[in-house]
Amino acid sequence: MDFGDLKEALASQSYGQIADICDHLMLQVAAEGVAFQEEWPYAIHLLGHIYADDINSARFLWKSIPSSIKESQPEVVAAWKIGQHLWTRDYAAVHEAICGFDWSQEVRGLVASFAEQYTKRMFRLLSSAYSTISLQDAALFLGMSEDDAANYVLQQGWDFDPTSRMLTVKQQQAVTDQKLDPSKLQRLTEYVFQLEH
Amino acid sequence: MGSIENLVTQIQGLSGSVDDIAHLHNILKIADESLHAEPSALSSVLDQVDPAKHSLGYLYFLEAFTFGPVSKEQALTLIPILARFINCCDAQQIRFAPDKFVSVCKRFKDHVLLIESPLRGVSPMRAAVRKLQTTSEHLTTLHPDFLLLCILSKSYNIGLSVLEDDIFDVDQPRDLFLYCYYGGMICIGQKRFRKALELLHNVVTAPMNTINAIAVEAYKKYILVSLIHYGQFSTSLPKYASSAAQRNLKNFCQPYIELATTYSSGKIAEFKVYVDTNREKFDNDKNLGLVKQVVSSMYKHNIQRLTQTYLTLSLQDIANTVQLGSPKEAEMHVLQMIQDGEIFATINQKDGMVRFLEDPEQYKTCQMIERIDSSIQRIMTLSRKLNAMDELMSYDPLYLSKVLFPQVGRERQRFDFDDFDTVPQKFPI
Repeated sequence: MDFGDLKEALASQSYGQIADICDHLMLQVAAEGVAFQEEWPYAIHLLGHIYADDINSARFLWKSIPSSIKESQPEVVAAWKIGQHLWTRDYAAVHEAICGFDWSQEVRGLVASFAEQYTKRMFRLLSSAYSTISLQDAALFLGMSEDDAANYVLQQGWDFDPTSRMLTVKQQQAVTDQKLDPSKLQRLTEYVFQLEH
Repeated sequence: MGSIENLVTQIQGLSGSVDDIAHLHNILKIADESLHAEPSALSSVLDQVDPAKHSLGYLYFLEAFTFGPVSKEQALTLIPILARFINCCDAQQIRFAPDKFVSVCKRFKDHVLLIESPLRGVSPMRAAVRKLQTTSEHLTTLHPDFLLLCILSKSYNIGLSVLEDDIFDVDQPRDLFLYCYYGGMICIGQKRFRKALELLHNVVTAPMNTINAIAVEAYKKYILVSLIHYGQFSTSLPKYASSAAQRNLKNFCQPYIELATTYSSGKIAEFKVYVDTNREKFDNDKNLGLVKQVVSSMYKHNIQRLTQTYLTLSLQDIANTVQLGSPKEAEMHVLQMIQDGEIFATINQKDGMVRFLEDPEQYKTCQMIERIDSSIQRIMTLSRKLNAMDELMSYDPLYLSKVLFPQVGRERQRFDFDDFDTVPQKFPI
């Protein structure tokens, strides 16, 4: 088995490609009839799917892992635990699953990068879904202590009311490109022309 | 034996130009029967032909060699030979004998299933599909087999890559039924419910003279996915569905029809009771997991319905109306739906209220214009295709004879195309 591409992706922190590299390699070695299961980096493969936000694929991969490996490799189980909490939308437990395991050197960077991305994603979710939220809940969602969470969101312009311990969310204005390229207008004109004739 | 040696020489000599291969194909067709007569003699000559350079010859040898039932041990030795051939054969050569190639690939699929490692077949089967199909719009007999291997090996995401192609060209009706059914299952697994509905819809509404088991199973899943995705289900099929489907499908899926009726009442408690009493039926159909997703989708659709009536609503009221245990539970449901873009709302934890908003999309971003543009392009291509097909049909003597001269068809059981020579080639509609 040639893990060159995978090692390179890990080293260059191109974590988004890991799932595809692993999928591809797995099909290839399986087709050659190699008994790959014992040596397969299941933890990385699972985390690759999780990083790419493809929980369905992570779940099917987990289902296909032989039970002997699930028993002998705690890191694989720990990786799936993250996926499982994402699957059940247990937002706070995802952070616990990330922190609750001593990840090996190989996957540490990947897990840390996912954790960072996940915190950002949670912050975006809170920004879009809440107008006010308790500090306690916000801290759970962001996977931080209440003090850290307060600091984090205050930096983003939120307000904090110490008496009710409530945060007031500042809606983020998403900046989107609205400038039209003349060629698009040209094309739309052509469509209308075609329809009328 | 001598004739086989002779054949090997010819294969080696005639695998260059297209003309040579066409000539070789004729020779092979004649020799085919004698090859099948002594398959055991072929094992030694397989080494003398190169699967990549002499693909057509190799294909004939391999097909004869692998003919007949095999044991598990034999399958284990055959699989690598078959996989190697599929991976390195030349697409142009094997398309001279698609039937042979299909039967070799089907045997390969059967063998990997026999040794119970479907994952082994996924990659070669994908290669086989790509080599056999003339364009990406062409559905081959191998498509369903590839998807089946994807399902059995749980590599659902690999199957998706093939499902993205739009199909316009089908060899056998059965291929389409199975392709759409398996494709539907893969999309359900990946939670692409819209695409799943599209595929299952194709099975249910496809032309059929008599009802078939694939359509029945597809219809069951179609009902369930429709409830999950749209929160409703209409029992009437579109007009273009076959009369066999219109008449019979419902009778085979009674528990599912009743499920949809119970669902439409919106009462979660009654619905759960119905699911529990019919649990065994759904379990036997292996649809219980999907039925459970229907149950949880009911909360979602009930909340969605509230957004049409109210501008603001307390979490407590939401919990009461959709029968959730607590305001906190209601909050989590609303949050998930916001995350998935299924509703637009903001939660105010301080007052325990939810404010429902309008869809913020204003259809004026560049991204949206791109999307509209690509949709227009797709529709235009589709319309061109339809026109071409329509034209082709209006030339078709068989069609003309049925539509324009139904009495002729009835009077004579058999008719010659020559009889209609005077029919003009094209008709204004």
